[in-house]
Amino acid sequence: MIVSWNWLKDYVALDVPVAEFERRLMMAGLNHESTEPVGDDLAIDLEVTSNRPDCLGHLGIAREAAVLFAQPLRLPAAEPRQGAAQAADLARVRLECPELCYRYTARVVRGVKIAPSPAWLVKRLATIGIPAINNVVDITNYVLMECGQPLHAFDLARLAGREIVVRQARAGETFLAIDHKTYTLAARMCVIADRDRPVALGGVMGGADTEVTHNTRDILLECAEFDPLSIRTTARALNLHSASSYRFERGLDSQGVDWASRRACQLILELAGGELAAGVIDVGRAAPERPPITLRLSQLPRILGIEIDAGRVREILVALGNRLVRADKNQIEVVPPGWRRDLSREIDLVEEVARIHGYDEIPEDVSVPMATSARSPQDRVLSRIRHVLTAAGYDEALTLSAVEEDWSAAFSPWTRAEPLVSPTPILRRCDRMRRSLVPSLLGARRTNETLANPLIELFEIARVYLPRPASLPDEQLMLTLTSGGDFYAVKGVLEALLADLNPAVELEIRDTTLELLAEGRRCELVLDGEVLGYLGEVSAAGLKRFDLRGPATVAEIKLAALVDRADLVPLYREPPAFPATARDINLEMAEGVRWAEIAAEVRSSGGEHLEGLEFKEIYRNDELRRGGLKRVLFTITLRSRQGTLTSPQADAIRDQIVASCRARFGATLVA
Amino acid sequence: MPLADFLADLDQLLAAVRSALDRAADPAALEAARIEFLGAKSGRIKAAQKALGGVDKADRPAAGKRFHEIQQEIEAAFAAARERISAGGPAGKSAEQFDPTLPGKRPRLGHLHPLTQTVEDLKEIMGRLGFTVADGPEVEDEWHNFEALNIPAEHPARDPLENFYLATAQAAGGGPLLLRSQTSTVQIRVMEQTRPPVRIISLGRVYRPDTADATHYPMFQQIEGLLVDRHVSMADLKSVLRLFAMSYFGGEVQIRFRPSFFPFTEPSVEVDMHWNDRWIEMGGAGMVDPHVLSAVGYDPEEVSGFAFGLGVERVCARRHQVTDIREFYKNDVRFLEQF
Repeated sequence: MIVSWNWLKDYVALDVPVAEFERRLMMAGLNHESTEPVGDDLAIDLEVTSNRPDCLGHLGIAREAAVLFAQPLRLPAAEPRQGAAQAADLARVRLECPELCYRYTARVVRGVKIAPSPAWLVKRLATIGIPAINNVVDITNYVLMECGQPLHAFDLARLAGREIVVRQARAGETFLAIDHKTYTLAARMCVIADRDRPVALGGVMGGADTEVTHNTRDILLECAEFDPLSIRTTARALNLHSASSYRFERGLDSQGVDWASRRACQLILELAGGELAAGVIDVGRAAPERPPITLRLSQLPRILGIEIDAGRVREILVALGNRLVRADKNQIEVVPPGWRRDLSREIDLVEEVARIHGYDEIPEDVSVPMATSARSPQDRVLSRIRHVLTAAGYDEALTLSAVEEDWSAAFSPWTRAEPLVSPTPILRRCDRMRRSLVPSLLGARRTNETLANPLIELFEIARVYLPRPASLPDEQLMLTLTSGGDFYAVKGVLEALLADLNPAVELEIRDTTLELLAEGRRCELVLDGEVLGYLGEVSAAGLKRFDLRGPATVAEIKLAALVDRADLVPLYREPPAFPATARDINLEMAEGVRWAEIAAEVRSSGGEHLEGLEFKEIYRNDELRRGGLKRVLFTITLRSRQGTLTSPQADAIRDQIVASCRARFGATLVA
Repeated sequence: MPLADFLADLDQLLAAVRSALDRAADPAALEAARIEFLGAKSGRIKAAQKALGGVDKADRPAAGKRFHEIQQEIEAAFAAARERISAGGPAGKSAEQFDPTLPGKRPRLGHLHPLTQTVEDLKEIMGRLGFTVADGPEVEDEWHNFEALNIPAEHPARDPLENFYLATAQAAGGGPLLLRSQTSTVQIRVMEQTRPPVRIISLGRVYRPDTADATHYPMFQQIEGLLVDRHVSMADLKSVLRLFAMSYFGGEVQIRFRPSFFPFTEPSVEVDMHWNDRWIEMGGAGMVDPHVLSAVGYDPEEVSGFAFGLGVERVCARRHQVTDIREFYKNDVRFLEQF
């Protein structure tokens, strides 16, 4: 809301520097945005919160200032002289949709002389950025900006049948507004029509056909109250926003409708002449009575933490326009003014008292009782994970929760259900809530490739949204990695991570057919029979789909499974007292034998002294390849808790393992 | 002589050679060591070779094999030492020099996202003030995102254009689903499940259809605190915020409230803090609206509470002087590496 400094001073004596005025208003709830000089005036831009439509006019802001600076408010005159003719004989109003238009009032002024407005009026409107049109139109704008109540003047002669019908629009009906654009209306929109056609879009904009021009002699002045929600819907639907719709959307002072109408008539008589018909055509509901509100004084210290003197409380409430009903030493009962629709409860009065008394009075050094708080296991696990991954050289990414359709379809290992869709994309084409973080991270890879960043090692911890019928989706926290390294590089990071969280967990590897990942270089990760996640190198087709030039490996694991299994409080085990003995074993066997099988066989045949098993390498040469063979070299670590194992003891265990592998896989020991 | 003793002697011999060579810094010391160990007449290797003859006959092949291995290792160690010294080792006089100013072999460390670092800082401070982290869904129903928060159907914040409603998806009760527009939803969920006192912070991603620019992004992160108990007042709110700000920024901080409007708090305020001689906007706060307390089954006559909220991006951007919040979600490695 832009206000003119000179205009405000019509209503309240402001003998303070403008900066002080701005500061006091800001501390009372009207945030100061800017102040610009306009001629000999100042245009002060104040931010008005949506609960305070009363401050969308100069009077409302003057009223606040009057309270803050303890000055009287000077209300302008609004008692125009009425002629002999009765308004009701000159025009008719029919209200057909009281749910969209609560109340419609009309006054008639005949014989006006349309002319440019006087300089003072033009200047005031110019200060707040409103161009002057002619005296009558400028007066409606002026009163709008004075008290916040929108008005509209029709050329009475152009209203067919000299009649106003307030009704719902007919679907498909068209309307030419004063912006000279034609709008197609929908049912549920409130139109102001004459006998034949719409002449205004109620509360939003007037029509071109009936606007006041220099030929106009008689006018019908509309001052009405419309349903806020319907105004908002209409303005949105037509993308037609006006100073009027902005105010009606927020709800106006029902009790101020007639005052605004009289005030405008008074100015019209003064500046454009003519004769005001007697009386007002007033249809619809009368301004509702406001029920009284009781403020228990004990609520002030309870909510604000400070005591405020009862006399001071009463003074504030009355200064704000509340009508005092009764007061005693415990409570104050008031009826709020019509313009303060936001005041309906005791707590609203508490806020009013606090705001005017000053929040600076509230201390900032009271002692708040202590309370315990504990980090959740999930938080502790996430923190461990972040440490491990940054130590492993991965940077943490944060990507948008939604992806575009093609990316969403590219990878969805956790559900076959269609993703949740937002008809309004969250950003650009991203309208699908993601079912995996992998596409987003591949997108981040691409961004970095485009920027020619040589090393792109990223992880993200975020949710996926797995749809469930008739319910909120299953929001699963995922840990996702992407690397320029190969399958084993990423697998190694995951293994290190698991070992850090719980050295005892055993990861099982199963085959998967996820198409984004390269055949033969992809797998499913399983913990205790439950799918923990997926790992693989992105296939050539996958890289192409994401416009990636370099290789990429991805992994995604479900964090809930890790949180459940993390051993956050490991128990001490005494380190062994005796040294370990190591033996290398180099076995030649068929290509098809997997390491997991070998490891299982070694563990089961190694006996109690087998402490460690470490894979070293796989060796192949042309001859071996021709025979479908490979050599697997690994090291076993042996240790007894009873004493140092002798060389023959160690050899015996090795031989037993070799024998088992021979029996199981037909493996032979390579010398 | 038992085999074990012989082998132990060999191991000691090898250790002695290594130790002597490590200490040898110049050709003279190397020559002295050579004479001591490799001397043809009275070198210690020669002595060991003689001892081999004293090993039991049955063990002699094993002992011989080991002796041979040790001999080779010792020779290799001498060769290496010779090379080192001629190349001008620690105290050598060669032209080549050890350059301690060369860069070390640096492991690549990853970096936590600056927003994560900010969130962790804020959580940690609020944890010390007794606030426990609470979690809730990002996809919400209208009850938790609006109604329970005192945002009735006609409120402008409910406008479909101001929210990301999800197509076809439905809540259990049949109502539409939307992406939460604030983390206050978590407060409702916690209060529905817990009797007072409640002292929590909720944080996470929230969504509003803003056009992305330097200061807006349609997805952002919020952190909100809630304290509900008997006798909780705005003085408690101001004091907690001051402790929080002093912990986060360090040093003396003053808190200022400016009246504002949020549907779920009454009174509602904007919070500024005075730090380094200027006022900085911190976020929104207020006393939990009695409607909200009633909506979760609390008695507003019995308990009161305060709530406050901060935008994580804003706090983080200010702290690290990031001028465009879109950088946070671009994930340029050159950006991430800076924090």
